[in-house]
Amino acid sequence: MARDIRYAVIGNSAAGINACEAIRGLDKEGDIAVFSDEHYPAYSRPMISYLVAGKADAKKMLYRSRSFYKSHGIELRSGTRVAKVSAKRHSLTTQTGETLTWDNLLLATGSTPFIPPIPGLDDIDYLTFISWADAKRLSSLLRGNPRVLIVGAGLIGMKAAEALAEGLAQVTVVEKMDRILPLALDDEASRMVSDRFGKAGVKLTNGTSVTSLEAEGSGKTGDGKARAGRATLEDGSTIDFDLLIMAVGVRPRLELATSAGLETNRGILADDYLRTSHRDIFAAGDVAEAPDVVFGEPRVNALWPNAALQGKYAGLNMAGAETPCPGSTSMNSVEFLGLPVLSAGLVNPPDGGYEVISRRDNEGYYRKAVLRDNIIVGMITAGQVDRAGILTSLIQERANVRRFKSALLEESFSHIYFPKAVREGRIFEEKVGTDAARR
Amino acid sequence: MRSTVSNGADFARTRVFKKMIRIYPREDVCIGCRLCEIHCIVQHSKSRNIIKAFKSERRPRKRVEVEEEGHVSFALQCRHCEEAPCVTACLSGAMSKDPKTGAVNNDPERCIGCWTCILVCPYGAIHRVEDGHVAGKCDLCPDREVPACVANCPNEALVMEEV
Repeated sequence: MARDIRYAVIGNSAAGINACEAIRGLDKEGDIAVFSDEHYPAYSRPMISYLVAGKADAKKMLYRSRSFYKSHGIELRSGTRVAKVSAKRHSLTTQTGETLTWDNLLLATGSTPFIPPIPGLDDIDYLTFISWADAKRLSSLLRGNPRVLIVGAGLIGMKAAEALAEGLAQVTVVEKMDRILPLALDDEASRMVSDRFGKAGVKLTNGTSVTSLEAEGSGKTGDGKARAGRATLEDGSTIDFDLLIMAVGVRPRLELATSAGLETNRGILADDYLRTSHRDIFAAGDVAEAPDVVFGEPRVNALWPNAALQGKYAGLNMAGAETPCPGSTSMNSVEFLGLPVLSAGLVNPPDGGYEVISRRDNEGYYRKAVLRDNIIVGMITAGQVDRAGILTSLIQERANVRRFKSALLEESFSHIYFPKAVREGRIFEEKVGTDAARR
Repeated sequence: MRSTVSNGADFARTRVFKKMIRIYPREDVCIGCRLCEIHCIVQHSKSRNIIKAFKSERRPRKRVEVEEEGHVSFALQCRHCEEAPCVTACLSGAMSKDPKTGAVNNDPERCIGCWTCILVCPYGAIHRVEDGHVAGKCDLCPDREVPACVANCPNEALVMEEV
């Protein structure tokens, strides 16, 4: 019996959209349905900070053109939360009780903010910062230069801080680790970014956490909670705030995978083909725990470029390409207050077994490469970043860099430093990098 | 539409049919003169006049780079990859691959300068342009029959091939 949908995609962001495009590239006919609990067409999630800062408008937020779904023959079911997936029946059930069967399913359900159990938090009408709706809500509350406390100095927290720092709010960030952006960056790059934030008037409080929260009586919202309050830190000091943003981290949204009986760990376990423990169910993006080329084991890399890449290969494989996803690893690219910072792979190696080389000059250029047995496994570049992608590609290829190790830290490091045969292989056969490696 | 652009002594006209072209370097004959870089700058300048481009206008960033070490040199620009990592990774949707020409293009109106494309470009062929606000790259000179770097190379060290 023919099923209702050839390709069902749950999730309408980086992974879901790239999957749809890849499917359509191979299968012009098979019907695709995208389910999303949000009410928007696909938008650029990382751009919500630009929206709040007034640097992007609603039109610019759109990840694809208005005609995308139509021109690709995709049925978009926005505002439709999928409540349950049955692997055995090849079916999904929406919150309204509609049950549809599918041939292939992609779980690209992304992640949800992790909210730590801080005493008093339940009394506070706090904000999170991962969706367009979050950004709208934050913008609507930014009257009169409020005091904003951001808990968590990861990418989400710091992008929120940057958006607010330019005249919209008085910002304080509290981070448990001893530096901001502890996962994406190392000490040095973190310090460079911290300097920028310091100059922009953002107060950074590292190495401590909020131990309790107390709601302030006035300004209560409808449900009896207050937006304003006072946070107490480990040393007993307090911070008064008008708005609280919780940005401690995100967790994969595993409910549907669990309901389908799929194997999960931190995320949904997926192989090199982004296939889960069920042959016809795939997972990609923030929700997936898939092989990481650097770490050599499955990892959740909840980052946009990784989600897009995994989505693409999940789509190819849903359409029957049987093509492994190359080069999936941690990849971060951000600009904070005019300072571009890029990182890839393992940037904070554990003690022992790794060689770390780095260079910093006074012009604000910093580069670090992490090697293991002459294989490059990680890099950070800040300031002059224009050619840093060459290092990313070497990391993704697990390249042995012994012959040009001394040049890796040069801002000008490029193909001229490669042995001729390697150079010509890259330039003429284009057999490099994330995507090109598959041909 | 066919248009004619006067560019110093060099005449160029729009590629009448949108062709798939690629540019390849030949390092055995490259003399490292950097005329490709200069004419790339002229082509992407406001006036497309070499004197004005270098002396009176805001000078655009070159989209082709000569790499040189000792006697070896060659010019490299965007490869317009078949499976372009920058297109997949772009978080605003600004980077796209033209289905007709195969050219990978960045839309400066949609680019937000997050540099994710730079992070994933294996060729280092994408740059921060316009005072570091948006990404810029080789566009294969869509207004010309032959890209400026190829047309102005004195030793055929850059060649154009139709694919």
